[in-house]
Amino acid sequence: MGLPDAPGDLSSEVDVDAFRHLFPLRFYERHLTESIRPDGRPLGRARDTTIALGAVTSAEGSALAKIGSTTMLAAIKMEVMTPSMDSPDEGCIAIDFHMPPICSPIVRPGRPAEIAPVVSKQLSDTISSSGMINLKELSLVSGKAAWMAYLDIYCLDADGALFDAALLSAVAAFSHLQIPAVSLNDDGKIVVVSEENGGKLEKDAVNKERMKLTLKSIPFSLTCVLHKNYILADPTAEEESIMETVVTVVLDSSSQLVSLYKPGGPVLAYTSAIQDCVALTRQRMKDLQKILDEANSGMEVD
Amino acid sequence: MEFVSPEGLRLDGRRPMEMRQIRAEIGAVAKADGSAVFEMGNTKVIAAVYGPREVQNRTQQINDQALVRCEYSMANFSTGDRMRKPKGDRRSTEISLVIRQTMEACILTHLMPRSQIDIFVQVLQADGGTRSACINAATLALADAGIPMRDLVTSCSSGYLNSTPLLDLNYVEDSAGGPDVTVGFLPKVDKVTLLQMDSKLPIDIFENVMQLAIEGCKAIANYIREIMLENTKQLEYRRGI
Repeated sequence: MGLPDAPGDLSSEVDVDAFRHLFPLRFYERHLTESIRPDGRPLGRARDTTIALGAVTSAEGSALAKIGSTTMLAAIKMEVMTPSMDSPDEGCIAIDFHMPPICSPIVRPGRPAEIAPVVSKQLSDTISSSGMINLKELSLVSGKAAWMAYLDIYCLDADGALFDAALLSAVAAFSHLQIPAVSLNDDGKIVVVSEENGGKLEKDAVNKERMKLTLKSIPFSLTCVLHKNYILADPTAEEESIMETVVTVVLDSSSQLVSLYKPGGPVLAYTSAIQDCVALTRQRMKDLQKILDEANSGMEVD
Repeated sequence: MEFVSPEGLRLDGRRPMEMRQIRAEIGAVAKADGSAVFEMGNTKVIAAVYGPREVQNRTQQINDQALVRCEYSMANFSTGDRMRKPKGDRRSTEISLVIRQTMEACILTHLMPRSQIDIFVQVLQADGGTRSACINAATLALADAGIPMRDLVTSCSSGYLNSTPLLDLNYVEDSAGGPDVTVGFLPKVDKVTLLQMDSKLPIDIFENVMQLAIEGCKAIANYIREIMLENTKQLEYRRGI
Protein backbone atom coordinates (compact mmCIF):
# COMPACT_ATOMS: atom_id res chain seq x y z
CA MET A 1 0.00 0.00 0.00
CA GLY A 2 1.43 3.37 -0.94
CA LEU A 3 1.88 6.14 1.56
CA PRO A 4 -0.06 9.40 1.38
CA ASP A 5 1.87 12.15 -0.36
CA ALA A 6 4.64 12.97 1.99
CA PRO A 7 7.06 15.72 0.93
CA GLY A 8 8.96 13.23 -1.18
CA ASP A 9 11.58 12.37 1.40
CA LEU A 10 10.27 8.97 2.45
CA SER A 11 10.99 5.73 0.74
CA SER A 12 7.83 3.94 -0.26
CA GLU A 13 8.25 1.32 2.44
CA VAL A 14 8.31 2.61 5.97
CA ASP A 15 7.88 0.31 8.92
CA VAL A 16 4.36 0.52 10.39
CA ASP A 17 5.66 1.27 13.87
CA ALA A 18 7.93 4.02 12.59
CA PHE A 19 5.04 5.57 10.68
CA ARG A 20 2.89 5.37 13.79
CA HIS A 21 5.45 7.30 15.80
CA LEU A 22 6.49 9.80 13.14
CA PHE A 23 3.09 10.72 11.73
CA PRO A 24 0.58 9.72 14.39
CA LEU A 25 -2.29 11.83 13.15
CA ARG A 26 -2.00 10.53 9.59
CA PHE A 27 -1.76 6.98 10.91
CA TYR A 28 -5.03 7.41 12.78
CA GLU A 29 -6.81 9.19 9.98
CA ARG A 30 -6.11 6.33 7.63
CA HIS A 31 -7.89 4.08 10.08
CA LEU A 32 -10.74 6.48 10.78
CA THR A 33 -11.70 6.70 7.10
CA GLU A 34 -12.37 2.96 7.30
CA SER A 35 -14.34 3.49 10.56
CA ILE A 36 -11.96 1.46 12.61
CA ARG A 37 -9.15 2.07 15.10
CA PRO A 38 -5.66 0.54 15.28
CA ASP A 39 -6.69 -1.87 18.02
CA GLY A 40 -9.51 -3.14 15.86
CA ARG A 41 -12.41 -1.47 17.64
CA PRO A 42 -15.22 0.31 15.79
CA LEU A 43 -15.40 4.00 16.67
CA GLY A 44 -18.23 3.75 19.17
CA ARG A 45 -17.08 0.74 21.13
CA ALA A 46 -15.42 0.86 24.52
CA ARG A 47 -12.67 -1.54 25.61
CA ASP A 48 -13.29 -4.68 27.66
CA THR A 49 -14.25 -3.71 31.18
CA THR A 50 -13.96 -5.84 34.31
CA ILE A 51 -14.66 -5.21 37.97
CA ALA A 52 -13.31 -7.28 40.86
CA LEU A 53 -14.80 -6.52 44.29
CA GLY A 54 -12.94 -6.98 47.56
CA ALA A 55 -9.46 -6.59 46.13
CA VAL A 56 -8.06 -5.12 49.35
CA THR A 57 -8.89 -7.30 52.34
CA SER A 58 -7.85 -4.76 54.98
CA ALA A 59 -10.35 -2.14 53.77
CA GLU A 60 -14.08 -2.06 54.52
CA GLY A 61 -14.94 -1.78 50.84
CA SER A 62 -12.74 -2.09 47.78
CA ALA A 63 -12.81 -2.71 44.06
CA LEU A 64 -10.38 -3.11 41.16
CA ALA A 65 -11.71 -1.79 37.84
CA LYS A 66 -10.03 -2.30 34.48
CA ILE A 67 -11.04 -0.66 31.22
CA GLY A 68 -8.68 -2.15 28.64
CA SER A 69 -5.27 -1.64 30.25
CA THR A 70 -6.31 1.26 32.47
CA THR A 71 -6.42 -0.12 36.01
CA MET A 72 -7.82 1.60 39.10
CA LEU A 73 -7.80 0.26 42.64
CA ALA A 74 -10.31 1.92 45.00
CA ALA A 75 -10.55 1.23 48.72
CA ILE A 76 -12.69 2.72 51.46
CA LYS A 77 -11.63 2.97 55.09
CA MET A 78 -14.09 4.12 57.73
CA GLU A 79 -13.34 6.20 60.79
CA VAL A 80 -15.60 7.68 63.43
CA MET A 81 -15.64 11.45 63.76
CA THR A 82 -17.81 14.17 65.30
CA PRO A 83 -20.15 15.68 62.74
CA SER A 84 -20.12 19.43 62.07
CA MET A 85 -22.55 21.80 63.74
CA ASP A 86 -24.55 22.64 60.66
CA SER A 87 -25.21 19.02 59.71
CA PRO A 88 -25.26 17.06 62.94
CA ASP A 89 -26.86 13.96 61.50
CA GLU A 90 -24.79 13.55 58.40
CA GLY A 91 -21.53 11.72 57.85
CA CYS A 92 -18.81 12.69 55.43
CA ILE A 93 -16.96 11.29 52.42
CA ALA A 94 -13.41 12.27 51.44
CA ILE A 95 -12.29 11.25 47.96
CA ASP A 96 -8.63 11.22 46.93
CA PHE A 97 -7.20 10.19 43.58
CA HIS A 98 -3.52 9.24 43.31
CA MET A 99 -1.34 8.57 40.32
CA PRO A 100 1.79 6.88 41.65
CA PRO A 101 4.82 6.78 39.35
CA ILE A 102 4.21 3.14 38.45
CA CYS A 103 1.20 4.00 36.34
CA SER A 104 2.82 5.87 33.50
CA PRO A 105 6.22 6.84 32.11
CA ILE A 106 5.37 10.54 32.32
CA VAL A 107 4.79 10.59 36.07
CA ARG A 108 7.94 10.91 38.12
CA PRO A 109 8.63 11.42 41.81
CA GLY A 110 8.62 15.11 42.60
CA ARG A 111 6.70 15.90 39.43
CA PRO A 112 3.15 14.56 39.95
CA ALA A 113 0.80 14.20 36.97
CA GLU A 114 -1.13 17.38 36.18
CA ILE A 115 -4.28 15.46 35.55
CA ALA A 116 -4.42 13.84 39.00
CA PRO A 117 -5.95 16.75 40.96
CA VAL A 118 -8.30 17.44 38.04
CA VAL A 119 -9.69 13.91 38.08
CA SER A 120 -9.83 14.05 41.88
CA LYS A 121 -12.02 17.15 41.82
CA GLN A 122 -14.19 15.81 39.01
CA LEU A 123 -14.80 12.65 41.02
CA SER A 124 -15.76 14.50 44.21
CA ASP A 125 -18.12 16.77 42.32
CA THR A 126 -19.73 13.97 40.34
CA ILE A 127 -20.30 11.72 43.33
CA SER A 128 -21.76 14.47 45.49
CA SER A 129 -23.94 15.96 42.78
CA SER A 130 -25.30 12.60 41.63
CA GLY A 131 -26.85 12.04 45.03
CA MET A 132 -25.69 8.43 45.02
CA ILE A 133 -24.90 8.41 48.72
CA ASN A 134 -27.28 9.60 51.37
CA LEU A 135 -25.01 11.11 54.01
CA LYS A 136 -27.64 10.57 56.68
CA GLU A 137 -26.99 6.84 56.40
CA LEU A 138 -23.49 7.50 57.68
CA SER A 139 -24.70 9.02 60.93
CA LEU A 140 -24.30 7.10 64.19
CA VAL A 141 -25.42 9.28 67.09
CA SER A 142 -26.90 12.59 66.05
CA GLY A 143 -24.59 15.46 66.91
CA LYS A 144 -21.99 13.23 68.54
CA ALA A 145 -20.68 10.59 66.17
CA ALA A 146 -20.78 9.89 62.47
CA TRP A 147 -18.80 7.91 59.93
CA MET A 148 -16.09 9.47 57.83
CA ALA A 149 -15.49 7.38 54.72
CA TYR A 150 -12.06 7.85 53.14
CA LEU A 151 -12.10 6.70 49.54
CA ASP A 152 -8.62 6.38 48.03
CA ILE A 153 -8.27 5.53 44.37
CA TYR A 154 -4.88 4.51 43.03
CA CYS A 155 -4.19 4.40 39.31
CA LEU A 156 -2.03 1.34 38.70
CA ASP A 157 -1.86 1.68 34.91
CA ALA A 158 -2.78 4.83 32.98
CA ASP A 159 -3.92 4.08 29.44
CA GLY A 160 -6.58 6.70 28.73
CA ALA A 161 -10.13 7.25 30.06
CA LEU A 162 -8.84 7.71 33.61
CA PHE A 163 -12.01 9.40 34.86
CA ASP A 164 -14.26 6.60 33.59
CA ALA A 165 -12.23 3.89 35.27
CA ALA A 166 -11.88 5.89 38.47
CA LEU A 167 -15.61 6.56 38.70
CA LEU A 168 -16.40 2.92 38.02
CA SER A 169 -14.01 1.72 40.71
CA ALA A 170 -15.42 4.27 43.20
CA VAL A 171 -19.00 3.17 42.53
CA ALA A 172 -18.03 -0.50 42.78
CA ALA A 173 -16.17 0.10 46.06
CA PHE A 174 -19.23 1.81 47.54
CA SER A 175 -21.46 -1.03 46.46
CA HIS A 176 -19.07 -3.48 48.15
CA LEU A 177 -18.74 -1.39 51.32
CA GLN A 178 -19.84 -3.05 54.54
CA ILE A 179 -20.01 -0.67 57.46
CA PRO A 180 -18.77 -2.43 60.59
CA ALA A 181 -21.17 -2.94 63.48
CA VAL A 182 -20.46 -0.61 66.37
CA SER A 183 -21.91 0.10 69.76
CA LEU A 184 -21.63 2.83 72.33
CA ASN A 185 -19.64 1.74 75.35
CA ASP A 186 -19.97 3.09 78.87
CA ASP A 187 -17.52 5.96 78.37
CA GLY A 188 -19.69 7.28 75.59
CA LYS A 189 -17.19 6.13 72.97
CA ILE A 190 -17.98 4.18 69.87
CA VAL A 191 -16.34 0.77 69.74
CA VAL A 192 -16.35 -1.83 67.05
CA VAL A 193 -18.42 -4.85 67.99
CA SER A 194 -16.48 -8.08 67.78
CA GLU A 195 -18.24 -11.33 67.07
CA GLU A 196 -17.93 -12.59 70.66
CA ASN A 197 -19.93 -10.03 72.63
CA GLY A 198 -22.71 -9.74 70.09
CA GLY A 199 -25.35 -9.80 72.79
CA LYS A 200 -24.61 -6.57 74.55
CA LEU A 201 -25.96 -3.94 72.19
CA GLU A 202 -28.44 -2.23 74.45
CA LYS A 203 -28.13 1.48 74.30
CA ASP A 204 -27.35 2.23 70.72
CA ALA A 205 -29.29 3.69 67.93
CA VAL A 206 -26.29 2.48 66.10
CA ASN A 207 -26.13 -0.22 63.43
CA LYS A 208 -26.34 -3.61 65.01
CA GLU A 209 -25.03 -5.67 62.19
CA ARG A 210 -22.80 -4.91 59.23
CA MET A 211 -24.67 -2.60 56.99
CA LYS A 212 -24.50 -1.77 53.31
CA LEU A 213 -25.26 1.65 51.91
CA THR A 214 -28.30 2.08 49.69
CA LEU A 215 -27.08 3.56 46.43
CA LYS A 216 -29.68 5.33 44.39
CA SER A 217 -29.00 6.91 41.00
CA ILE A 218 -25.55 5.47 40.36
CA PRO A 219 -23.50 7.62 37.94
CA PHE A 220 -21.79 6.08 34.92
CA SER A 221 -19.56 7.93 32.53
CA LEU A 222 -18.03 7.73 29.08
CA THR A 223 -15.15 9.78 27.74
CA CYS A 224 -14.94 10.44 24.00
CA VAL A 225 -12.40 12.24 21.85
CA LEU A 226 -13.51 14.41 18.96
CA HIS A 227 -11.51 14.73 15.80
CA LYS A 228 -12.93 16.56 12.78
CA ASN A 229 -16.33 14.92 12.60
CA TYR A 230 -15.34 11.59 14.12
CA ILE A 231 -16.25 10.63 17.66
CA LEU A 232 -14.07 7.95 19.26
CA ALA A 233 -15.44 6.39 22.44
CA ASP A 234 -13.14 5.34 25.29
CA PRO A 235 -9.77 6.57 24.02
CA THR A 236 -6.42 5.02 24.85
CA ALA A 237 -3.61 7.25 26.13
CA GLU A 238 -2.16 7.44 22.62
CA GLU A 239 -5.48 8.59 21.16
CA GLU A 240 -5.95 11.16 23.93
CA SER A 241 -2.52 12.67 23.32
CA ILE A 242 -2.92 12.93 19.54
CA MET A 243 -6.51 14.10 19.33
CA GLU A 244 -6.73 16.49 22.20
CA THR A 245 -10.42 17.33 22.39
CA VAL A 246 -11.98 15.27 25.15
CA VAL A 247 -15.65 15.20 26.19
CA THR A 248 -16.84 13.36 29.30
CA VAL A 249 -20.55 12.71 29.84
CA VAL A 250 -21.91 11.32 33.11
CA LEU A 251 -25.41 9.85 33.26
CA ASP A 252 -27.15 8.24 36.19
CA SER A 253 -29.13 5.03 36.12
CA SER A 254 -32.37 6.86 35.23
CA SER A 255 -30.63 8.37 32.17
CA GLN A 256 -30.51 11.84 33.65
CA LEU A 257 -27.50 13.97 32.80
CA VAL A 258 -25.33 14.40 35.89
CA SER A 259 -22.36 16.17 34.38
CA LEU A 260 -20.88 17.23 31.08
CA TYR A 261 -17.22 18.15 30.81
CA LYS A 262 -15.47 19.52 27.74
CA PRO A 263 -12.31 21.35 28.77
CA GLY A 264 -11.49 23.29 25.60
CA GLY A 265 -9.62 21.58 22.79
CA PRO A 266 -9.08 22.41 19.13
CA VAL A 267 -12.38 20.89 17.96
CA LEU A 268 -15.47 23.02 18.54
CA ALA A 269 -18.39 20.69 19.07
CA TYR A 270 -21.75 21.28 17.50
CA THR A 271 -24.85 20.28 19.46
CA SER A 272 -25.18 17.19 17.28
CA ALA A 273 -21.76 15.96 18.38
CA ILE A 274 -22.68 16.39 22.03
CA GLN A 275 -25.94 14.56 21.46
CA ASP A 276 -24.06 11.71 19.83
CA CYS A 277 -21.76 11.54 22.84
CA VAL A 278 -24.76 11.38 25.16
CA ALA A 279 -26.28 8.59 23.09
CA LEU A 280 -23.02 6.62 23.25
CA THR A 281 -22.93 7.15 26.99
CA ARG A 282 -26.46 5.87 27.36
CA GLN A 283 -25.51 2.66 25.60
CA ARG A 284 -22.36 2.33 27.67
CA MET A 285 -24.32 2.90 30.86
CA LYS A 286 -26.43 -0.18 30.19
CA ASP A 287 -23.29 -2.29 29.70
CA LEU A 288 -21.65 -0.95 32.85
CA GLN A 289 -24.82 -1.49 34.87
CA LYS A 290 -24.82 -5.12 33.81
CA ILE A 291 -21.15 -5.58 34.67
CA LEU A 292 -21.63 -4.00 38.10
CA ASP A 293 -24.69 -6.12 38.84
CA GLU A 294 -22.84 -9.28 37.88
CA ALA A 295 -19.92 -8.36 40.14
CA ASN A 296 -22.29 -7.67 43.04
CA SER A 297 -24.25 -10.87 42.62
CA GLY A 298 -20.98 -12.76 42.36
CA MET A 299 -20.06 -11.49 45.82
CA GLU A 300 -23.41 -12.38 47.33
CA VAL A 301 -23.10 -16.02 46.48
CA ASP A 302 -20.34 -16.50 49.07
CA MET B 1 2.45 -13.01 74.84
CA GLU B 2 2.95 -16.37 73.29
CA PHE B 3 4.08 -16.35 69.71
CA VAL B 4 4.95 -20.01 69.45
CA SER B 5 2.58 -22.45 71.13
CA PRO B 6 3.94 -25.44 73.04
CA GLU B 7 2.97 -27.64 70.09
CA GLY B 8 5.21 -25.51 67.91
CA LEU B 9 2.58 -23.52 65.99
CA ARG B 10 2.70 -19.78 65.39
CA LEU B 11 -0.21 -17.36 65.61
CA ASP B 12 -1.26 -18.00 62.04
CA GLY B 13 -0.80 -21.75 62.25
CA ARG B 14 2.60 -21.97 60.59
CA ARG B 15 5.59 -23.90 61.83
CA PRO B 16 8.63 -21.80 62.85
CA MET B 17 10.56 -22.58 59.67
CA GLU B 18 7.60 -22.23 57.35
CA MET B 19 7.27 -19.28 55.00
CA ARG B 20 3.96 -17.69 54.04
CA GLN B 21 2.38 -18.52 50.73
CA ILE B 22 4.07 -16.62 47.91
CA ARG B 23 2.54 -15.67 44.59
CA ALA B 24 4.04 -13.62 41.81
CA GLU B 25 2.79 -12.28 38.49
CA ILE B 26 4.83 -10.63 35.76
CA GLY B 27 3.60 -7.88 33.48
CA ALA B 28 0.84 -6.37 35.61
CA VAL B 29 1.32 -2.79 34.37
CA ALA B 30 1.02 -2.60 30.60
CA LYS B 31 2.54 0.87 30.34
CA ALA B 32 5.73 0.02 32.19
CA ASP B 33 8.84 -1.48 30.60
CA GLY B 34 8.75 -4.18 33.25
CA SER B 35 6.39 -4.83 36.11
CA ALA B 36 5.48 -7.47 38.66
CA VAL B 37 3.13 -8.13 41.55
CA PHE B 38 4.55 -10.06 44.50
CA GLU B 39 2.52 -11.43 47.40
CA MET B 40 3.91 -12.93 50.61
CA GLY B 41 0.91 -14.02 52.67
CA ASN B 42 -1.20 -10.88 53.07
CA THR B 43 1.56 -8.50 52.03
CA LYS B 44 1.02 -7.44 48.44
CA VAL B 45 3.26 -5.09 46.48
CA ILE B 46 3.43 -3.99 42.87
CA ALA B 47 6.70 -2.91 41.23
CA ALA B 48 7.19 -1.12 37.92
CA VAL B 49 10.45 -0.45 36.12
CA TYR B 50 10.91 2.29 33.56
CA GLY B 51 14.18 2.28 31.71
CA PRO B 52 16.77 2.47 30.51
CA ARG B 53 15.63 5.89 29.38
CA GLU B 54 17.03 9.38 29.09
CA VAL B 55 18.16 10.98 32.33
CA GLN B 56 15.58 13.56 33.33
CA ASN B 57 17.87 15.74 35.37
CA ARG B 58 20.97 16.41 33.28
CA THR B 59 23.07 17.36 36.27
CA GLN B 60 22.69 13.87 37.70
CA GLN B 61 23.77 12.07 34.57
CA ILE B 62 26.70 9.69 35.01
CA ASN B 63 28.93 9.28 31.99
CA ASP B 64 30.05 5.71 32.44
CA GLN B 65 27.07 4.05 34.04
CA ALA B 66 23.31 4.11 34.43
CA LEU B 67 21.60 6.10 37.18
CA VAL B 68 19.27 3.96 39.27
CA ARG B 69 16.39 5.61 41.15
CA CYS B 70 13.88 4.00 43.41
CA GLU B 71 10.74 5.17 45.16
CA TYR B 72 8.86 3.19 47.79
CA SER B 73 5.38 4.28 48.75
CA MET B 74 2.51 2.72 50.64
CA ALA B 75 -1.13 3.06 49.69
CA ASN B 76 -3.28 4.89 52.23
CA PHE B 77 -5.36 1.79 52.80
CA SER B 78 -2.48 -0.67 53.03
CA THR B 79 -2.20 -0.74 56.80
CA GLY B 80 -4.78 -1.41 59.51
CA ASP B 81 -5.40 2.26 60.26
CA ARG B 82 -5.44 4.64 57.34
CA MET B 83 -2.05 6.25 56.78
CA ARG B 84 -1.80 9.99 56.60
CA LYS B 85 1.57 10.34 54.91
CA PRO B 86 2.30 7.50 52.54
CA LYS B 87 5.57 8.83 51.19
CA GLY B 88 8.19 11.34 52.15
CA ASP B 89 8.25 10.13 55.73
CA ARG B 90 11.47 8.79 57.15
CA ARG B 91 10.62 5.12 56.90
CA SER B 92 9.68 5.32 53.22
CA THR B 93 12.79 7.31 52.41
CA GLU B 94 14.98 4.79 54.20
CA ILE B 95 13.40 1.82 52.45
CA SER B 96 13.69 3.56 49.07
CA LEU B 97 17.40 4.00 49.69
CA VAL B 98 17.84 0.38 50.79
CA ILE B 99 16.06 -1.00 47.74
CA ARG B 100 17.99 1.26 45.41
CA GLN B 101 21.36 0.27 46.79
CA THR B 102 20.46 -3.42 46.79
CA MET B 103 19.32 -3.40 43.17
CA GLU B 104 22.12 -1.11 42.03
CA ALA B 105 24.72 -3.60 43.22
CA CYS B 106 23.14 -6.18 40.98
CA ILE B 107 22.35 -4.31 37.77
CA LEU B 108 25.18 -4.17 35.21
CA THR B 109 25.03 -0.39 35.12
CA HIS B 110 28.20 0.02 33.06
CA LEU B 111 26.35 -1.39 30.06
CA MET B 112 23.95 1.54 29.96
CA PRO B 113 25.91 4.77 30.44
CA ARG B 114 24.16 8.14 30.54
CA SER B 115 20.77 6.58 31.06
CA GLN B 116 18.34 6.20 33.93
CA ILE B 117 16.53 3.21 35.36
CA ASP B 118 13.53 3.97 37.58
CA ILE B 119 12.17 1.38 39.98
CA PHE B 120 8.84 2.27 41.60
CA VAL B 121 7.32 0.08 44.27
CA GLN B 122 3.84 0.53 45.68
CA VAL B 123 2.62 -1.40 48.69
CA LEU B 124 -1.05 -2.31 48.32
CA GLN B 125 -1.42 -4.41 51.48
CA ALA B 126 1.07 -4.43 54.34
CA ASP B 127 1.32 -7.37 56.74
CA GLY B 128 5.01 -7.47 57.63
CA GLY B 129 7.95 -8.12 55.34
CA THR B 130 7.15 -5.28 52.94
CA ARG B 131 10.83 -4.57 52.40
CA SER B 132 11.47 -8.15 51.29
CA ALA B 133 8.39 -8.32 49.10
CA CYS B 134 9.47 -5.08 47.41
CA ILE B 135 12.94 -6.39 46.62
CA ASN B 136 11.51 -9.61 45.21
CA ALA B 137 8.99 -7.70 43.12
CA ALA B 138 11.71 -5.33 41.88
CA THR B 139 13.86 -8.29 40.78
CA LEU B 140 11.01 -9.72 38.74
CA ALA B 141 10.16 -6.33 37.25
CA LEU B 142 13.78 -5.73 36.23
CA ALA B 143 13.87 -9.16 34.62
CA ASP B 144 10.61 -8.40 32.79
CA ALA B 145 12.14 -5.15 31.52
CA GLY B 146 15.12 -7.03 30.17
CA ILE B 147 17.66 -5.09 32.19
CA PRO B 148 20.94 -7.01 32.48
CA MET B 149 21.71 -8.15 36.03
CA ARG B 150 24.47 -10.11 37.70
CA ASP B 151 22.03 -12.39 39.48
CA LEU B 152 18.55 -12.39 40.96
CA VAL B 153 18.18 -10.66 44.30
CA THR B 154 15.80 -12.32 46.69
CA SER B 155 14.95 -11.22 50.18
CA CYS B 156 13.36 -12.71 53.24
CA SER B 157 13.04 -11.79 56.90
CA SER B 158 13.41 -13.81 60.04
CA GLY B 159 13.16 -13.22 63.78
CA TYR B 160 13.59 -14.79 67.19
CA LEU B 161 10.65 -15.00 69.60
CA ASN B 162 9.97 -17.35 72.52
CA SER B 163 13.50 -18.73 72.04
CA THR B 164 12.66 -19.98 68.54
CA PRO B 165 14.01 -18.68 65.23
CA LEU B 166 11.01 -17.82 63.04
CA LEU B 167 11.00 -17.41 59.27
CA ASP B 168 9.06 -14.70 57.42
CA LEU B 169 7.50 -12.58 60.14
CA ASN B 170 4.06 -11.11 59.71
CA TYR B 171 3.01 -7.76 61.17
CA VAL B 172 2.02 -9.05 64.59
CA GLU B 173 5.27 -10.96 65.05
CA ASP B 174 7.29 -8.03 63.71
CA SER B 175 5.78 -5.57 66.19
CA ALA B 176 6.35 -7.93 69.11
CA GLY B 177 9.61 -6.15 69.89
CA GLY B 178 11.92 -9.05 69.14
CA PRO B 179 14.78 -8.93 66.62
CA ASP B 180 13.93 -8.65 62.96
CA VAL B 181 16.62 -9.69 60.46
CA THR B 182 16.16 -8.88 56.76
CA VAL B 183 18.52 -10.50 54.28
CA GLY B 184 19.00 -9.77 50.58
CA PHE B 185 20.70 -12.65 48.84
CA LEU B 186 22.18 -13.45 45.42
CA PRO B 187 21.47 -17.17 44.97
CA LYS B 188 23.80 -18.06 42.09
CA VAL B 189 26.93 -16.44 43.48
CA ASP B 190 25.85 -17.31 47.02
CA LYS B 191 26.48 -13.87 48.47
CA VAL B 192 24.61 -11.60 50.85
CA THR B 193 23.98 -8.10 49.56
CA LEU B 194 21.62 -6.69 52.17
CA LEU B 195 21.62 -7.38 55.89
CA GLN B 196 19.61 -5.39 58.40
CA MET B 197 18.80 -6.19 61.98
CA ASP B 198 17.25 -4.34 64.85
CA SER B 199 16.87 -5.13 68.54
CA LYS B 200 19.41 -7.28 70.39
CA LEU B 201 20.60 -10.79 69.72
CA PRO B 202 23.56 -12.90 70.93
CA ILE B 203 26.02 -13.62 68.12
CA ASP B 204 25.61 -17.40 67.94
CA ILE B 205 21.82 -17.14 67.81
CA PHE B 206 22.16 -14.40 65.21
CA GLU B 207 24.06 -16.75 62.93
CA ASN B 208 21.21 -19.27 63.10
CA VAL B 209 18.58 -16.65 62.43
CA MET B 210 20.53 -15.25 59.49
CA GLN B 211 21.05 -18.72 58.05
CA LEU B 212 17.30 -19.32 58.30
CA ALA B 213 16.61 -16.14 56.36
CA ILE B 214 19.12 -17.22 53.71
CA GLU B 215 17.32 -20.53 53.32
CA GLY B 216 14.10 -18.56 52.85
CA CYS B 217 15.80 -16.48 50.16
CA LYS B 218 16.90 -19.62 48.32
CA ALA B 219 13.35 -20.97 48.35
CA ILE B 220 12.04 -17.70 46.97
CA ALA B 221 14.76 -17.75 44.29
CA ASN B 222 13.55 -21.17 43.11
CA TYR B 223 10.01 -19.89 42.89
CA ILE B 224 11.07 -16.77 41.02
CA ARG B 225 13.00 -18.87 38.51
CA GLU B 226 9.91 -21.00 37.87
CA ILE B 227 7.79 -17.92 37.33
CA MET B 228 10.30 -16.46 34.88
CA LEU B 229 10.57 -19.73 32.99
CA GLU B 230 6.79 -19.96 32.72
CA ASN B 231 6.67 -16.37 31.49
CA THR B 232 9.29 -17.06 28.82
CA LYS B 233 7.37 -20.11 27.65
CA GLN B 234 4.26 -17.97 27.29
CA LEU B 235 6.20 -15.42 25.24
CA GLU B 236 7.58 -18.15 22.99
CA TYR B 237 4.13 -19.61 22.56
CA ARG B 238 2.66 -16.26 21.60
CA ARG B 239 5.38 -15.72 19.05
CA GLY B 240 4.70 -19.09 17.58
CA ILE B 241 8.07 -20.60 18.33
